Amino acid sequence: MTILRARNIRKRFGGVVALEQGDLALGAGEVHVLIGSNGCGKSTLCKIIGGSVAPDGGSLELSSEPVRFRTPHAAAAAGIGVFYQELSLIPQLTVAENIFLGREPRTAYGLVDRKRLRSDAETAIRPFGAVVGQGFGPDVLVSDLSADQRQIVEILKVLSENSRIVIFDEATASLDSKQVAVFFDLIRSLKAEDHAIIFISHRMDEVFAIGDRVTVMRNGRTVVSVAIAETTQDEIVAHMVGGAYIAAADRKEAPAPLTGTAVLAARNLVGRKLADVSFSLQRGEILGLGGLHGQGQSDLLRSLFGAESLAGGSVFLDGKPLLLRKPSDAIANGIAYISGDRSRYGVLPIRSIFENLVIGLVSKQRPVGLNYGALVKRIAPVAERLKLKFPSFAAPVSDLSGGNQQKVVIGRWLAVAPAVLLLDDPTKGIDLQTKHDLYVILRELCAEGVSIILYSSEDKELLGNADRILVFNGGRIVRELEGERMGEFELYQAAYAAS
Amino acid sequence: MTEHAKTAPSNHTSLTQRLRSFDLRRHTYLLSVVFFLILCGINIALQPSFLQPGVMVSNLSTFLPLILVSIGQTYVILASDIDLSVGSIVSLVNVATVSIIEGMGGTGGAIALGLTTGLGLGIAAGLFNGLCVALLRFQPIVTTFATGIIFAGLALWILPQAGKQVPATVWQTYGGSILGVQTVIWVLTLAVIFALVLARTRFHHALLATGGQMQSAFQTGLHVLRVRITAYALSGLFSALAALCLVGETASGDPLLGTGYTLSSISAVVLGGTALSGGIGGFIGSVFGAMILGLIDNVIFFARLPFEYQGLVQGLIVLLALAGGVFVSRR
Ligand SMILES: Nc1ncnc2c1ncn2[C@@H]1O[C@H](COP(=O)(O)OP(=O)(O)O)[C@@H](O)[C@H]1O
Ligand SMILES: [Mg+2]
Repeated sequence: MTILRARNIRKRFGGVVALEQGDLALGAGEVHVLIGSNGCGKSTLCKIIGGSVAPDGGSLELSSEPVRFRTPHAAAAAGIGVFYQELSLIPQLTVAENIFLGREPRTAYGLVDRKRLRSDAETAIRPFGAVVGQGFGPDVLVSDLSADQRQIVEILKVLSENSRIVIFDEATASLDSKQVAVFFDLIRSLKAEDHAIIFISHRMDEVFAIGDRVTVMRNGRTVVSVAIAETTQDEIVAHMVGGAYIAAADRKEAPAPLTGTAVLAARNLVGRKLADVSFSLQRGEILGLGGLHGQGQSDLLRSLFGAESLAGGSVFLDGKPLLLRKPSDAIANGIAYISGDRSRYGVLPIRSIFENLVIGLVSKQRPVGLNYGALVKRIAPVAERLKLKFPSFAAPVSDLSGGNQQKVVIGRWLAVAPAVLLLDDPTKGIDLQTKHDLYVILRELCAEGVSIILYSSEDKELLGNADRILVFNGGRIVRELEGERMGEFELYQAAYAAS
Repeated sequence: MTEHAKTAPSNHTSLTQRLRSFDLRRHTYLLSVVFFLILCGINIALQPSFLQPGVMVSNLSTFLPLILVSIGQTYVILASDIDLSVGSIVSLVNVATVSIIEGMGGTGGAIALGLTTGLGLGIAAGLFNGLCVALLRFQPIVTTFATGIIFAGLALWILPQAGKQVPATVWQTYGGSILGVQTVIWVLTLAVIFALVLARTRFHHALLATGGQMQSAFQTGLHVLRVRITAYALSGLFSALAALCLVGETASGDPLLGTGYTLSSISAVVLGGTALSGGIGGFIGSVFGAMILGLIDNVIFFARLPFEYQGLVQGLIVLLALAGGVFVSRR
């Protein structure tokens, strides 16, 4: 019996099409796997079902009744609970307060019953008691928890809603195998009580261990939906990557030898989320970092920029050892870092475009007596090259679209002509045209001898731009893909099958 | 027997757990209490009569309006918004109430109508702020700065110059006592009880969540709009209460009366350990923060500092208190 049906759901974010045709039919008592490469629209579909994103078109039916949720509250009232990939926790509140947020137990007087809040939370935590690790409890602030513990809180939160339909959007991403086992037991008991579950995961072993049915998405479209018992891992991956499927051998690559001509070389880097990372970057090369979200790629880039500290290993620039204690060490050596998270690491929103572009130059000049004419002469060609659309240099950066803001951030570094450019998911939330412009610029930069390390959460962006791809898992490089072996299928295999 | 054997160790662990999990970040007001006590000590040294009941009550009635405004401001700041119009709401409610009471002849009915209209006006002003900020998504700082100008303009329109009188019963009641307890103590006690009860409601959890991480609060299914609007309405309500206290204290209307309360209330809230970024803190700290600001004025007065240095010393003490808070929260 189908209890939830999504038909032809569409959604755009500005110029980005997140969902073109989302279809899903969920049966009661079923664990329904939703799978597809990064950026194919799974989370967007889930958020639309959960009422936190409004669709542009399409229809939702709950028990054959057409429904439309304007808020997450409305969806929750209709019996839909969502585990959000980016989590919906409040760091300033405790574990207990987070689990029961909005549904706190109350006394006869209508006030929050703190004793019961605490004991209810203890009961909820109990199944995870043995596997949750140190420093966990009802009174601990969520801001003090580790990534896996936060995911467990989000799991407990959505379970405590006791919804008929529960959506888990990459709920196992940071969990270890013991925690996953507990989680799966909980899912099985939900299933036994006839709850319906949408389960998103990239780990194939999990998909086959818990799933009853799988729906595959590709580029914002639902491609196929089949029973797990009637399919295979290769078939699923083939649907995910479409025409790109080739039955390639699953070979392990030997890491490329470190050559003396490398611009940047890293040896045995160890950090908070990095384990023994070694690689070298050639002049004029775009080196891609691939793999699941949060496997150490951003950490590597931030460490190379001196923004995160390394516990061990060494970095060489042009053969000379480099000490990276703070970003200014990296900048002084011609290493630039650009994040897709512009608001946190990039633009100075209320300052003018001019100020945003020249800030890198100014910090290299003498501190007083800026020569504005000379500065404008330096940045005008940069702006032109970026095809920057802007009213005037004096306009604040916040007036620009996201894509153009990102161009400004890149322009800032172009003005100082870096030797190494570190790109940390640089096109997040940017429209296609601007993305394309940026790719062209990256290629031009390479031709001029700039070396680039690119991390992207979208597999297609990596495959389309990188010369080589290092696939990360758990802070390690598990595979290097190059040349003919660098296809969508191989990338997927390396990233997901290895986990 | 088995029951007992089971519960005893769990009680024990919960006590040690509670001790271990005692976290200054959950009790950000404690530092303001310490600072308050220190200032009390200094004040007693400079002014030995400080502890006499009469002096304490008189101090309290001086501090009370700021305490009330600060309690209201706390809710707005906890939701990660800000209310720069509280001073103007104080002025507006003050002149409106006085004008109604005098205009209707100062009878008992006139007084009742004046007070209730004043409270209603404060809530309405807060709701207006909340609607602009939460529903229309205007910037809180700019919006409440602008509405503050509007409210101040309205106050001047109602009563262009300080003046008018309220009947003696009003200030006699406010300055006197009810059922043997000073009226100001009643007001403070009732306000604190109200805030204490409010702190135990689901609304308050939702308020902290909204200020802590608005997107998460929304996705959790909380009514983020309603929460923010309610916070502004509470701010309006407490500002109105402060204005009524000022009616009782000054017995007249003044369209510029509230001017200083806006920034003082924000200082008091921050001194009390509530984070301007929202989600952390509570009204208790703001009460102490407001009293700290009042005591600083006292200390400076009784220290007989030359007039030219008063602002300097006042600023330095506030800075010191803030630095202490930053030091603790960074650890
Ligand atoms: N709030 C947003 N603003 C702009 N773009 C978005 C937003 N959310 C998602 N996208 C874009 O929509 C596409 C689909 O994203 P998502 O649904 O998160 O994919 P998935 O969960 O399958 O990895 C991506 O290209 C992503 O960059
Ligand atoms: Mg996703």
